[in-house]
Parts: sequence; structure tokens; C-alpha cells
Amino acid sequence: MVRKRSVIPAKAGVRAVGRNQEMNSALLICTVALMLAAPAVADDFTFDASEFDKKTVEFSGYLEQKEEGLKMRSDSPGYKLAYPGETQRHHLLRNTTTLELSGKLNLDPVVVDMRAQAFHADDQLITTSDRGTVMEGGVRWSAGPGLTVDAGKRVQRWGKGYAWSPVGFIERPKDASDPQSSREGFVMASAEWTKSLDGPVSAVGLSGFVVPTDGSSLNKDFGVERDLNPAAKLYLLAWDTDIDFLWRGQGAKPQSFGFDFSRNITSALEVHGEWARFRDAPHNTVSAAGVTGQTESDATSWLLGLRYLTQNEVTWIVEYYRNGNGYDARELDDYYTFLDKALAGGAAPALADKARAVARSGYGRVNPGTDYVYAKASVSEPFGWVYGSAALTAMTSLEDRSWQLVPEVSYTGFNNVELRARAFVLHGASHTEFGEKPASRRIEVYARFFF
Amino acid sequence: MKATKLLALVALCLPLLASAVDGVELLKKVDRNLEPESYESYRKLINIEPNGAKKEFVIYSVKKGKDQVATLFLSPASDKGRSTLRQGDNMWLYIPNVGKPMRITSLQSVTGGVFNNADIMRLDYAVEYDVKSVEEKEGNYILDLKAKTGEVAYDRLVMTVDKKLVLPTEIVAYASSGMLMKTLYFKDIKDFGGGIKRPGTIETDSPLYKGYKSVMLYSGLKKKDFPDEVFTQGFMSRMEELRK
Repeated sequence: MVRKRSVIPAKAGVRAVGRNQEMNSALLICTVALMLAAPAVADDFTFDASEFDKKTVEFSGYLEQKEEGLKMRSDSPGYKLAYPGETQRHHLLRNTTTLELSGKLNLDPVVVDMRAQAFHADDQLITTSDRGTVMEGGVRWSAGPGLTVDAGKRVQRWGKGYAWSPVGFIERPKDASDPQSSREGFVMASAEWTKSLDGPVSAVGLSGFVVPTDGSSLNKDFGVERDLNPAAKLYLLAWDTDIDFLWRGQGAKPQSFGFDFSRNITSALEVHGEWARFRDAPHNTVSAAGVTGQTESDATSWLLGLRYLTQNEVTWIVEYYRNGNGYDARELDDYYTFLDKALAGGAAPALADKARAVARSGYGRVNPGTDYVYAKASVSEPFGWVYGSAALTAMTSLEDRSWQLVPEVSYTGFNNVELRARAFVLHGASHTEFGEKPASRRIEVYARFFF
Repeated sequence: MKATKLLALVALCLPLLASAVDGVELLKKVDRNLEPESYESYRKLINIEPNGAKKEFVIYSVKKGKDQVATLFLSPASDKGRSTLRQGDNMWLYIPNVGKPMRITSLQSVTGGVFNNADIMRLDYAVEYDVKSVEEKEGNYILDLKAKTGEVAYDRLVMTVDKKLVLPTEIVAYASSGMLMKTLYFKDIKDFGGGIKRPGTIETDSPLYKGYKSVMLYSGLKKKDFPDEVFTQGFMSRMEELRK
């Protein structure tokens, strides 16, 4: 990712960015208008499956245009960390264009595939762009229906949690505010064996992984020590319950192990959970005075959740997440106190650098606290609005009682187009997680065109 | 006199008893006439809105035995690569970007519109329903079916079966409350080859979706056997490998 400050002079930059935003907004409006005006096609009840024969080479992807309006907390440490040296702004408009391309080469029994993403984001303060990142890509050999060998950059999605996955040992963490968003993988090699059985244990699967790190560029976000980083997963479908036992060996990250489960109690109620133990997990801290430290101790994280479909078709997802290596309210208060000093006007530049390093050491995670509750109520086709859906999501940090509320609507009625609008309302006292985020309100609208 | 009356009654009932239909066998025959127990097929699902606007999905489906079904979305581009899996009452949805299979329920719909997941990943009727009664009416059998468990999507079905073809022409589905949920119309008898001759089109409407209609068109339906491992979560991302 190339993250660069705009080279356009401040005032001209604002005008140029404004023009870009107007053009992008116009593009979005025109496209939506064209879709709305699309004539209904006459009935044509014919279907020939040969039109959908498997192709050797396939391409697909999407283009997304997102517009955001943010109400900033310009005096918050979060704002000063995100926009160092910038003047205070109360409102910010941002537009982001994202292009994702996927390609696949089917050479049975071998499949070569790649998914790459590029984006360009503009707001009145910063221009951020990425000309292309391979999110996933590699070679898979299917030796049989029950055995595959794979090598490449892959996203593993371990765990049964919706908003968080404490057992996600070999993947980048999910963003609980958008758990289904696209993530980048790690370079790895894996082999997976699956077997169906008769009896109460009806399926068993065993997967082995290596996620190599070379101490420099290879999987540097995974770890900086030179290691093979082995991992394994044992999957069972037993007594109608999905169960995984997961393990990551000692390497660039500490050894960890755990399990997850998911089961439909009734046709409308599913329960799931995860439990993870991290051996000698490092815990970086900073005092209010700016003294940094690190301790290593075993940590346990777990999650318990349910998904429930009510009679009137409302799906509830509720999860409790205990982050055993998170920061408690006192530690977060010390951190924000330090940031207040380090990022205050007139503070030594070295202190600001230290503040950024401390944020990267753990405090800057999306959810750095210890105890969270997530609740989402969503309804498909509300009030007979076919292809429409509406949802309300609440997330709270129990430790400091700060919270975030996100109402949203989406629509997929136009062929190959997804429209989504969300509003974020964040609330919390000073020195709390959601009280210190850079923006207190955010509205976002996006259109995603699939091809 | 009494003996004469009794004899007359027995004489009257004998032909009826001789022609009594075994409802369970009839339902099993309907199932086999619709599809082999293990098969692959391609289906186009068309959701038609009251203003005539349409949304189409193309799905590749495989089934094995009594209760294993898997589907792969081939079109539209926004849904391509999604797959679903059913093992008895358990159902999962796999979305490529989300990655891990999520449990879904039979009454939800992965496509929107009138067809729900139970319609799209249907098991044999005889697996999910008991036959309460069979009537003969105007060249048809009328089967009254009751769900075997509370997990089945529709509590009661009234199935009209063409006597000659032993294929359904109409199925009316009710909830346990007695509420009409939808009506399925089986149309356009089509020869798929391999001895499979069945309706190529299923239309459905529902009072819950006034003015909306959904249509399911069949193509490429043929008997085919698959390894059990195809019907596991680990295979959901590899469904494309089954297509030649």
C-alpha cells in the first residue's frame, strides 16, 4: 500500500479533491439512475445449461465507489495520530474507489487463481492509494475429493464468531464493524484431508499449514522472526455440531491452541463459540508518563454467540467476546493520557513518534479492550421490500461502557449491483475506546458493480 | 337378511380395497420420477417482480442419497462462487469473500424472492413427509402430506399428482398455523434423457409476496453418483471441480 500525503497545495488540493468528489458522486448518481431506468425485460422462460459450461479461463471482479461524510473529533488523540500536523477540521468528506479483479485458470485437477485489489481514497486532508495488492493467489491441486494441496497467498477463516475470531491464528484480524469485508491473506502452503463417515461423527477433516516468515519481507505482518510457523486444524461434524480443534506452533508468534463449535439447536437458533489459549503472549504497555514495558504471560480469549431467526424474520446475532490479551480501562486511560501529552501542541517531535510506535504495538488495534458485546438485528425484505435488507448493529466495550451504533440498509435488486448505506454513531466518555476514535459520526454510501 | 346385507357391503368394498393406493409407495414413485436419488442438474431461478422486472440466478446442483444436497451459483456475477450445502436438517452458505461456511435455515432464501432454501435444496418428499391420505379425483391423486418433524420448512403439503405420469402438477404448502405459504405449479414435461421425463418448469407464488412470482427451469438433469466428501464443508469452496 502506498500511503502518501497529497502533493497538491492545500487550497488547490481542496478544490481538486472537491472536483474529484463531485465527479465521483455524479458517477454514482448516474449509474444508479440508469439502473432505475432499466426497462423490464419480457418473459423468456428458456434455459440451456450448455451456456454455462465450465471455462478454462475465468475473470470476474467488482468496482466500488464509496462516499463518506465524517464528523471529526479534531482534538482527540485518534485524530492527531491519523492526521499528524493537520489543522483541526470538524467535518470531512472522503471518496474511495476500489477495483477488485479475480482470475482463475482451471486445469483439472489443478487450479491457479488470483485476486487483487487496488484503491484510491481522497479526503480534504490525505490522499491514500494502492495500485494493486494481491489479496489471495496460488495453486491448488485436488488429488481427490478428500485431499487437496495448496500453495500461495491465502486467507484462512478459522473460528465460528461473526464479529471476532479469537482462534483466527493464521489470518489478519476481522474488523468487527465490517466483518465480511475483504481481507488480505498470508503466503502459506497447506494440505487438507477430509473423510465422510457413517455414524454420529459424519465428517472429519485434517489440515496442516506452514506460514513461513523470513525475518524481512515474507509475511512481515505475521511476524519478523525467521520461521516456518506450522499450524493445524482438526474438523469434526459430530452429533450435528461443527467442531474444530486448532493449533499454531511456536514461531514468529507465540504458540496457541483452541477450539470452536457451532450447532443449530433448532431450525431458527444457532449457537457458536470459540476458546483460544496463547502461551507467553507479549503484552506491550505504556504508562501515563510514557514509560513503555512488555510482559509475557499466558492469555485466554473466548467468544460465545448465537444467531436467532424470529417468527417475523428478524435475524439476531449476539456475541460476547473476552479478549484475554486486551487492555483494561486503566491501561487505556494511561495510554490516552500519554497521547494527550505526546500529541499536544509544542510537544517534542520524538514524543509524537513514540506515540505512533506505542499505537502500533497493540493499543491501535480496532478493538484493543478486554470485554465486548456485539448485537446485530437484521431483516431481509422488510415491509415486502424484495432484495432489500435493513440492520441495526450495536457494539459496546463493557470495560469502559463506550459504544457504537450502526443502522444500515442495503439493496441487491439490480443485476450485479449492491447498494449499501450505513451511519455510525460513536459515544463514550473521555479516555474510552469509542469516545476517542477520530470520528464521532460517519455516514457512508457505496455502490458495488460486479462483473 | 342381515347376512345378505353384510355380503352386499363386502361385495361393495372389495373393489375399493383392491384399488386402494399405497400413499407411501406413490410418494416414493413421485420422488423417483422427479429425480434419480443421486443426480446433477442445472437450474435457472427467475424472480419476477409485479412490474415485470426480473432477477435471474443459475445454479449447479448435486444430490446424493436421502439427505445430501450441494449447490453452486454460476450467475449472476455478484453471486458467482457462492455455494450451499445441506445435510439433513443442517444447511450452510459459503460466500467466497467471507470464506467460512455459515449456518442458514430452511425458511430463509439465499436468492430472495418466493423460493426459500428448502425449495432450492429440496430432499425427497418421502424423506420429509408422511402420507396422511390419498384421494382420487379427476384423473389425479390428491396426497395430503404431513411433515415428519418440526424442522421441515412446510408443515403440510397438498400434492396433486397426475395419475398417468405419476408426477406432481401442483403442490400447496401450509405452515403449522394452517396459513397458506405458497403454491408450486409443475409445468412443461421435458425428456432429459436417461429415462428422466419430468416437468422442466416449476412456478411458484405466495400470498406473502403479493404480485411476485418465481420460476425454476431445469436443464442437464442426469443421474450421477458422487463421493460423500463432496457433501462436506471443506468441499464448498471447490464445488466448481465437479463440473466438466
